[in-house]
Amino acid sequence: MTETAPLAHVSCEPPAPYEPKIVGFLCNWCSYAGADKAGASQIPYPPNVQVLRVMCSGRIDPEFVLQAFRKGADGVLILACHAGDCHYKEGNYRAIQRHRLLLRILGQFGIAAERCRFDFVAASEGEKYARVLTEMVESVRALGPLVLER
Amino acid sequence: MKVGVYLCSCGTSISEKVNYDAIAPALAQIPEVAYVHAAEFLCSEEGKQFLADDLTAHRPDRMVIAACSPREIENAFMQVAGAAGLNPYLIQIANVREQVAWVTEDAGRATAKASTAIRSAIARVCRHEPLERTELDACPDVLVIGSGPAGLKAAITLAEAGRNVILIDKAPVIGGLPVRYEELFPNLECGPCLLEPVMGEVMHGEHAHRIEILTLCELAEVKGYYGNFTVTLRQSPRYVDVAKCVGCGACIPVCPAQVANEFDCGMKSRPAISLPFAGALPNVPFVAYDACLRSHGEDCTLCRDACPVEGTVLYEEAERPIERKVGAIIVAVGASLYDCRELPALGYGSLPGVYTSLEFERILARNGPTGGELPWRDAGEDPAVAIVHCAGSLDERRQPYCSGVCCSYAFKFNDLVRKKQPGCRIVHLYKEIVAAGKEEFALYQHAVHNPQTRFVRYSDIDGVRVSARGNRRVIEYVDSSGRRDEFTADLVVLCPAIVPAEPAAHLHRILETVPDRFGFFQELHGRMDSAQSKVRGIYLAGTCQGPMDIRGASEQGMAAAGYILSGLAGGKKLQVSPVVAEVNQDVCSGCRVCAGVCPYKAIAFSSERQVSTVNAVLCHGCGTCVAACPAGAIKGNHFTNQQILAEMEAIFS
Repeated sequence: MTETAPLAHVSCEPPAPYEPKIVGFLCNWCSYAGADKAGASQIPYPPNVQVLRVMCSGRIDPEFVLQAFRKGADGVLILACHAGDCHYKEGNYRAIQRHRLLLRILGQFGIAAERCRFDFVAASEGEKYARVLTEMVESVRALGPLVLER
Repeated sequence: MKVGVYLCSCGTSISEKVNYDAIAPALAQIPEVAYVHAAEFLCSEEGKQFLADDLTAHRPDRMVIAACSPREIENAFMQVAGAAGLNPYLIQIANVREQVAWVTEDAGRATAKASTAIRSAIARVCRHEPLERTELDACPDVLVIGSGPAGLKAAITLAEAGRNVILIDKAPVIGGLPVRYEELFPNLECGPCLLEPVMGEVMHGEHAHRIEILTLCELAEVKGYYGNFTVTLRQSPRYVDVAKCVGCGACIPVCPAQVANEFDCGMKSRPAISLPFAGALPNVPFVAYDACLRSHGEDCTLCRDACPVEGTVLYEEAERPIERKVGAIIVAVGASLYDCRELPALGYGSLPGVYTSLEFERILARNGPTGGELPWRDAGEDPAVAIVHCAGSLDERRQPYCSGVCCSYAFKFNDLVRKKQPGCRIVHLYKEIVAAGKEEFALYQHAVHNPQTRFVRYSDIDGVRVSARGNRRVIEYVDSSGRRDEFTADLVVLCPAIVPAEPAAHLHRILETVPDRFGFFQELHGRMDSAQSKVRGIYLAGTCQGPMDIRGASEQGMAAAGYILSGLAGGKKLQVSPVVAEVNQDVCSGCRVCAGVCPYKAIAFSSERQVSTVNAVLCHGCGTCVAACPAGAIKGNHFTNQQILAEMEAIFS
């Protein structure tokens, strides 16, 4: 009986899947609370999104998003209160306007719109938060790493 | 830089997934990190004591805590830091429980994510600045605009708590609209009986000395902000000294001039010097100057001659400005009724016998133009009243909302008319019936079960037509099933939509409050903060915010008073959060984009220096202006660009 030794130079492990790096800008009152709700409900989602908390989605300077892509983000997620729910009344409307503008700028850089997603997550929407994050990670994973020409 | 890092395991809640032991050594290697300490339940009393002792022992100049959500524990740790001598704004929480341990399946990846979050927090906290709450002297006195149920309850609530109140009303009498109603829904209480005790309290009760009542008075100008308003009021002359008048009424019957009584909707006249209705308060007659013979150049002095108290009738009195300092303003200016002439087919203003509900209230009142008698013309054996609900309400072309109170007063009319004219036929023409509440159903049931009362649902108010036939009215309509029909009635009562009062637009300009899409005063939050406007220090009560019944208005008045009593405590300074926006005046280009995006009117423009300035008292710290400023001249304290970018860049380093 002969043992067949595995070929030393061929790895049997599949290559590690590509894990996108995503920055999430979340408003404090709805979306960050929604993220906490997902936690309290222990709904699992991929850990690819690092969250930055701002008081209002209206605080999110488009420059932050551009900077995130420049520094190495494969995707940026902007989450705000639903229309009419903004703690500061109108900040989320500003965020919507700025996001539209951002998509045009990103397009000029050749950055796909799917890499910069805007969505609404309420404080009660833990499940939606987990779903949006999962979708975002998957869609950016499908796009692959962002390579910017310099 | 000396950052103290605390890793809370939260029992096993965090450590089950996040292996602190694996990341602590690397964290300790970060140049700014002075130490990394583990803790088990940092938020417990023992945990907080440990933290306080540890901070005192190691004196870090920044602190990062990896634990649960900052929304839960940041305030508590800020207090611990403050007490231990570390500025509370020099801390940052990394949320590794709700947003890492509890949601990440793989422990290795959870640990990596937690490590990144903590590194980000360290990078951010290094750029934090010590911030201090500021304190401002604040005036605890309050201006209440409007003396209907909302304003009255606000004024008396504040006065009972020891506050000085200036209560103004543009009318010569107080009480608003309901004081003119003989009976009120839902329980047919007598309006004056309900309101006079409140007005009595305000005028001469135990706390009345704290309430300055200024009638015929309007707000002309407001300067300053929450805690420190300077208001200029404009008081029109009454021509009668309120302090001297004994209310005997001797001046009234001698007056030779007559004027249409606006308090009876012009349905009757009154002498040029008079009270508008029996029981009006303050019980001091006033002169309708345009009607007075003296305004036409005649030297009539009959009223002054008849007055038993010398120097009470003052023909020389002129409009006077009054300036007061207050800390807060309550807007309780009420509402108006939709102008039914905009619905010409209903005959209002063109046919006799067609009244608005307000006119009908006065007709039903014994102190009204008809002494409480219904003005039948030629009703004969079959007297009938048509009540047209939803005149202008629930109508996309007019006011899309339901005015809420009309059905209830219409059912009240039903009872009162039947009392005055038993056997009277009453037809309710309606679009929708609304009578919510634990008491409102009774009057509705009376109407529904009365064989002489009929309910007709029309499909469209524009399909309702009122015309004259002899001395009677004919009401044609298309019902909700599309059937045309008509009936005869003697009196037609229209229930107009409740709409913003005329001075609302003017007040929005003076107060910088925001109108909602209908022109009512917009609340800070329609449900949770409905007695606050969007401008800090300006509160709302009653129908100036939308249709409301007396109960709602009284409650809002007291709610507004509650906000002021808790927020503007007498003898205490006003606490101003440092987490606000600041304009760098050297960089500001004066474009005013910031003022346009500020939801709180917190940004003023200095025309002298051509720059914007943020009022920290009014700023809520949302940061929308910071992101909007094209010159980068605005700094959002505690959420500066540098702090946010440092936190972000650490993710990728």
